[in-house]
Amino acid sequence: MATGTDTGPGTDTAGGFGQVSRTVGVVFRYLLLAATMFGIVTLAVLLVYVANDAIQPLTADPGWYLTFFVTLVLPTGVAGAVLARRNPAALRLGAGVVAILAVSLLFSGGVAMVFVDIVSPILWLTYLLSLAVGFAGVVAIERFDRRLPFLARFGLSAAVLAVALFVLPGIIWRSPVFPTDGLIVGLTLGGVTAALVGRGAAARRGRRAGLAVGGLVLVAILAGTMAGPAVGVDSVPAAVLLSVAFVPTGAYAAGAAIDRPQDRTGLGFAGVVLGGVVVGAVAVDALGFAGPQSWVNWGFLTNAHSGTAANAGLYPAIGGSILLMATVALLSFPLGVGAAVYLEEYAPRNRFTRFIDVNISNLAGVPSVVYGLLGLGVFVTYLGQPTGTVLIGGATLALLILPIVIISSREAIRGVPDDLRQASYGMGATRWQTVKNVVLPRAFPGILTGTILALGRAIGETAPLIMIGAPNVLFSLPTELSSKVSAMPLQVYAWASLFASEDFYTKAVPAGVVVLLVVLLSMNSIAIVLRNRYEDEG
Amino acid sequence: MSTDDLESDLTRRTENAPQELLTRSFFFLCAVLSIVTTVSIVVLLTTEAAKFFTITAPLMGVEGATASVVDFLTGTDWVINAGEFGVLPLVSATLMITIGSAVIALPLGVATAIYLSEYASARARSMLKPALEVLAGVPTVVYGFFALIYITPALEVVLPSIGTFNMLSASIVVGIMIIPMVASISEDAMSAVPDELRQAGYGMGATKFDVSTGIVVPAALSGIFSSFILALSRAIGETMAVTIAAGAQAKLLNPLNPASYLEGALPMTAAMVNLLTGDITGGGLAYRSLFAIGLTLFVITLVMNIVSDLVAQHYREEY
Repeated sequence: MATGTDTGPGTDTAGGFGQVSRTVGVVFRYLLLAATMFGIVTLAVLLVYVANDAIQPLTADPGWYLTFFVTLVLPTGVAGAVLARRNPAALRLGAGVVAILAVSLLFSGGVAMVFVDIVSPILWLTYLLSLAVGFAGVVAIERFDRRLPFLARFGLSAAVLAVALFVLPGIIWRSPVFPTDGLIVGLTLGGVTAALVGRGAAARRGRRAGLAVGGLVLVAILAGTMAGPAVGVDSVPAAVLLSVAFVPTGAYAAGAAIDRPQDRTGLGFAGVVLGGVVVGAVAVDALGFAGPQSWVNWGFLTNAHSGTAANAGLYPAIGGSILLMATVALLSFPLGVGAAVYLEEYAPRNRFTRFIDVNISNLAGVPSVVYGLLGLGVFVTYLGQPTGTVLIGGATLALLILPIVIISSREAIRGVPDDLRQASYGMGATRWQTVKNVVLPRAFPGILTGTILALGRAIGETAPLIMIGAPNVLFSLPTELSSKVSAMPLQVYAWASLFASEDFYTKAVPAGVVVLLVVLLSMNSIAIVLRNRYEDEG
Repeated sequence: MSTDDLESDLTRRTENAPQELLTRSFFFLCAVLSIVTTVSIVVLLTTEAAKFFTITAPLMGVEGATASVVDFLTGTDWVINAGEFGVLPLVSATLMITIGSAVIALPLGVATAIYLSEYASARARSMLKPALEVLAGVPTVVYGFFALIYITPALEVVLPSIGTFNMLSASIVVGIMIIPMVASISEDAMSAVPDELRQAGYGMGATKFDVSTGIVVPAALSGIFSSFILALSRAIGETMAVTIAAGAQAKLLNPLNPASYLEGALPMTAAMVNLLTGDITGGGLAYRSLFAIGLTLFVITLVMNIVSDLVAQHYREEY
């Protein structure tokens, strides 16, 4: 070796001592660091380029930057620096509140889209009520009659659920009176939010406070829903924004203020950032400074594809991606977790189990086009489904990510300590009771993290969707499982290849890429945050 | 295992209760679904590919145009409209992507793994690993667009003769895409090397450089090789990046000649996407050729995955 440490017996060892060259080691170390950074830096540069093309920050007035510098950057920087020195935990709390608001706003955009254009609120209410009645029936059967043998109870429950799902909607549908759309969304989503916030309050200040807070939250959300149209927001988006973004963020902040009084200053930091955004926006509007002429704008997010790049938008593709995601999650989560539970908790150690094991790791390596061919061959050719629908797109993508879900769920389940299982068996629990009450709750955060990461993979997949014949261009949102679906990456591909004009390259495609990456990165960051919290606890 | 015996002892009496049977069979079916998937992939690809070839088509009861196996495997032209289905140009293009991305990803990936496992502080590692995960998480269609719009024009400055669609930029982005795979699997193998070996090395007066290159890397070699094979199998199956950046013109190029990386060609996966985005009639010869390429692709990646598994299993140093 060049360091001279492996001097042989014949050489002058006394002279070799103390002459170990450090150069090679140092050079090697920095070469390794450079290699590690190569991919990350390349991607970062490419991201800067694409963001520049999509958002065009240089087209804004200097006054626009100056205004935001004064209202947002300067106060944030000063407050952040002070907090970082005095109380880093408070800074983290404040940054966390801002991040939660940003991600939940993004999420509420997707939810609002679902209620405005995909599922009509009345249909949603109908099925929700039917399901609620069904589940109430099942719980009643389970709770009140333990004397029935298990199979009879199971059959009865299944029958009740079937009646609730297939008969009840038709009856509710005929009801002459329905609340308005906004009220339905406000009541259902807001109800869930109010229940969660109320539970948090009850845990801290007792049952009565919980009820009061929950009731207040629900009333506030409904009032906001009614007031929405007065300030220019339709009632359905207003209800969604309140129940998915603003109220949960506020509740998180309030909970943190009660639990960690020493970090309350962090909330002030969040206030400085959000206040800076609002004041800055009002100021540039009043002073007449033009912002950057971004291609990622309201029109891009809410228009359908168009012949000219400037008018082309991503709306149907975003809706398609949301619906595909929901289908993929519904299909792959139970199947993947089920397989993982079987392999970790039930499977005997024999050849068949080993075969399933090898098979799953091989499936994880099968190229995505081949899954596309599977979807095309099995669902379209053999089962005679129409091409490119939400159902077969979702099913194909679900098969694609199933191995990943299984592998990560198995890891999470393996992480549950054996002592817990044995304690449960020692109490006389059966295998299923142990899985249900001990293993799954404990492994749930890990399973969720793995599933979100896998869904992130599915949302970026294009090739399988092309294979099953999803249309490149779609002008309306899919409204049911059997309607044709497009997706964000597919739309970007179509712009990059089929409409290969200069205009689409420089405008629509970078904007589409930025939207796709923002969605993906926020999904990944949710998963990473979940994982870090989980690792802290475990 | 003793705990397993204990568990089965404790649960044996309830095993046949209906509730247990029902849940157990549900979980079992979920696990069996993976086998059903594999079997349907194999059956579907082989039957559809069988309809494509002249030799096997009569067995499948297919009449009409077919292609000869020999022409498929040795033909040097891929012109669908002329009915010429020679897979060699597609295979050569796929091989080029594989070689090109390997040149980038293998050294960088192993260097990253050594840095993460031997040199990086815990803090640096906790920041670098999620960043690397992002590299693997960016959709491939985005990488393809990057290659076409940003990397090719940048390369044009240095290599003026480069085509709009070229194998070089496609190989670069595929290489970047698979770095995290090489790095994470190799790093796992390196972290599994026991600390005693390192300490023995230091005790002999070795420097950190000596320990990393002389002890850790050789000890983790089987894991590193299996990461290479898995990453290359991913590069072979990579679809959207090469479809966008490598071009649509099937051409037989020499993968070992660096100059051919400046030209565009049509890898197997891109050929499949092009077949479907073009106008092909369901059930026609072009449609069935899709499954013939798919079968070729599936067999190559399956063999590579199995080899990687065997390498990791059989050549692992046990400590």
